[in-house]
Amino acid sequence: MARKDDIFRSFMEHDILRSKYEIKQEDIPKTVREAEQSEIKIVKTIALIVKELESSKTISDVALHKKVTQFLNNAI
Amino acid sequence: MIIRKIVIKNFLCYFGTKTFEFENGLNVILGDNGEGKTKFFEAIYWLFNGGKNFASMVSAKALKETNPDDKFDVSVLMEVEQYASIKSIQRSFTVLKTEKDYNISNSRIIGVEETKDGERIRMDGEKLLDIVLPPEIRKYSLFKGESELNIFNNKDALNILVNSFSSAKHYDKYLAQGASLKKKAEAAVDKESRHNSKKQTQYKNLENEIVRLHKGREKIQELLNISESERQTLEMHIEESERYVDNAESLETINNRIKDINSKIRQEESVIKENYTTYLFDDNWILTNFENVHRTFAEKIKKLQSDRRKLQSDFDREEGIKAGKEKLKKEIIEGLTPLPVGVPAKAYMEEMLDAEYCTVCNRPAKKGTPSYNYIQKRLKEYLDSLTPKIKEQQEKKVLFKHDYTRMLFKLSSTHEDTLATLREKKSEIKEIFEFNATRKEAIKKLKERLQLEIKDREKIIGSSSIGENKLANILKNYSSWQRDINSTNNNLRNLESDLKQISKELEAKIKQKEEIDIDAASSFLIETRNILRNIEVIFRDTKEVKYDEFITQLEKKSNLMFQKINADDFTGKIVFKKRNIGGKSNITIELQENGKIFYSPNQSLVTSMHMGILFAISELASELKEESFPMIFDAPTSSFGETKTKDFLNLVYQTGKQRIILFYDFISKENDVQSIKPEFEEVKRHKAFWLKRQRPFDKNDLSTINTEISSI
Repeated sequence: MARKDDIFRSFMEHDILRSKYEIKQEDIPKTVREAEQSEIKIVKTIALIVKELESSKTISDVALHKKVTQFLNNAI
Repeated sequence: MIIRKIVIKNFLCYFGTKTFEFENGLNVILGDNGEGKTKFFEAIYWLFNGGKNFASMVSAKALKETNPDDKFDVSVLMEVEQYASIKSIQRSFTVLKTEKDYNISNSRIIGVEETKDGERIRMDGEKLLDIVLPPEIRKYSLFKGESELNIFNNKDALNILVNSFSSAKHYDKYLAQGASLKKKAEAAVDKESRHNSKKQTQYKNLENEIVRLHKGREKIQELLNISESERQTLEMHIEESERYVDNAESLETINNRIKDINSKIRQEESVIKENYTTYLFDDNWILTNFENVHRTFAEKIKKLQSDRRKLQSDFDREEGIKAGKEKLKKEIIEGLTPLPVGVPAKAYMEEMLDAEYCTVCNRPAKKGTPSYNYIQKRLKEYLDSLTPKIKEQQEKKVLFKHDYTRMLFKLSSTHEDTLATLREKKSEIKEIFEFNATRKEAIKKLKERLQLEIKDREKIIGSSSIGENKLANILKNYSSWQRDINSTNNNLRNLESDLKQISKELEAKIKQKEEIDIDAASSFLIETRNILRNIEVIFRDTKEVKYDEFITQLEKKSNLMFQKINADDFTGKIVFKKRNIGGKSNITIELQENGKIFYSPNQSLVTSMHMGILFAISELASELKEESFPMIFDAPTSSFGETKTKDFLNLVYQTGKQRIILFYDFISKENDVQSIKPEFEEVKRHKAFWLKRQRPFDKNDLSTINTEISSI
């Protein structure tokens, strides 16, 4: 399994997703690719950040912020 | 990666070319002090880290045996096997000998990789070194002596380790990005709230209040950290002292008792009356037994006096009889009772002679007549009675010329008076002797008690590894540390309460501000902020989890190794303790026994602990990099002793990892002839070398030194 998926999955283990967002265990994606299709905004945002930060291309802080806010603005 | 070969050339005591061929597993290099172990280590260190003081690396023997204008190389080469290919790295410089001196070239590091098909590719030595032994691994591969085993001697060491080997390091960027995204999202909300809110003043005040409370909380947190650190230091001091403090308390008690006893002894000694010379002669003690002598003396005097009186009486009677007879004879002869001498008086008699007339008879007494002659004779008798009386007395027969008995009697009487005083002396002497005896008995008992106390004190001091003065100091400090820790604990409680209070206030203000935010800012900005806030929490916590996982893993592995190394000794535990100081996680290592910090482990225990951790790191590094790396130790177990060293080496052998360990154990020296002790046969190893300087050599002349290597 790719490191980005390992990292993504480690974030998905956080209890806040279940306690605050009431996400069921079976609805938690296992890979970044899978998460990109998720309807859950926080999951998708995390996937987006992991994808960008683990990409071979370095992304600037500003660019990442822009991508994340753009995604959230559209999603919300 | 496995080191296959180390080739040292003209490096200090290694004259010429010296090759060590190693095996995967435990490689042992034995050598007595001064035979070349450390120089081997220094050669490797130079290869790994470089260095500039080349002149200090040149073999003096090589320099001596090289002709002027000739050159020789000083080099260290390491040949390794990695991923089935052979790679070698060589660091070297060249020495050109001149008539009077020598010149040294720049150093160079050359890497060569031999591919599977035998092709040799030359490459940058530094880069190849980083490939075969990455810098983060190299940091944990060379250890000189026991002290260097403590890689955690600075507060960042463990963090560096975590960042080198833990997956937690991958989360650093998430931590930074999570915080940055959250900050920007909050700023966006704040900006809109500030513009839209009708409660602008209240909002501004809230913002200021929140900033102030944040700062206040940080300050309290900082004070808490300082107090906590102080508390730990005090605890450490107290625990260290507690090993001695029971002794110290007992010592103080005993010292007080000894002081008291000594004072009592001095007091008793001061009242003892033993100036016997004075007593004997000045106070007449010498005469206390004189009464019997006096009695005998008095009896004798008495008898003597009686005898004298009797003799005198007898004598007087004899003399009286004689005088009576004489008188009687005279009366009988003269028929007259003679007038006493001096009758009539001298003047009458002279007058009568002048007048030639006897006024007694009242008749003339003419010169030449019997009457005249009679008067003249009477006058003469009278005159004779005046002067010749002495003569008469002298001539008078006496029985005792001197009356010594009277003197003796007087002396005896005086003695009789003295006897009454002497009889009192006896009871006085008795009292003094009894008093002195009582004092001496008391002193004897006190001295016996003193000896017991001194013995007890010796036991206390003897059972303590520190001196008496230090023990006393510890007790003094212990009491003050106890007071300090109570005050620190109070301070901590107050700070915690303050922190709770300020956090509560902060929470309330944030809640107020957020209520305004909800009213004033766009819902999508609020939701974006909330999501990014939660993401930041997820990133931060996950990094923390990964960090903790690594530490737990390291702790577990370290303890496993530690227990193996210390199989029959200490049963405590290595604990990696994480503390948050100034918002940063800081790891400290503690040795605990039954959950309490063991503050004063001996060197052997410390070495075992460090070795345990190092082996654990090596194992973790191997797991992470999916390959193992060698470790080289120079005299890592000096405090172990041969038996423990043997057990330690056998444990290292079992790990199957490549370890090169240099030490001076198992070498015996008799008459300057070295040999390997039979006990070394019990050491399991994959390869062993024995370093010895070529004999003979002059220890004061480095150009005679050449270390030779033999496989054993």
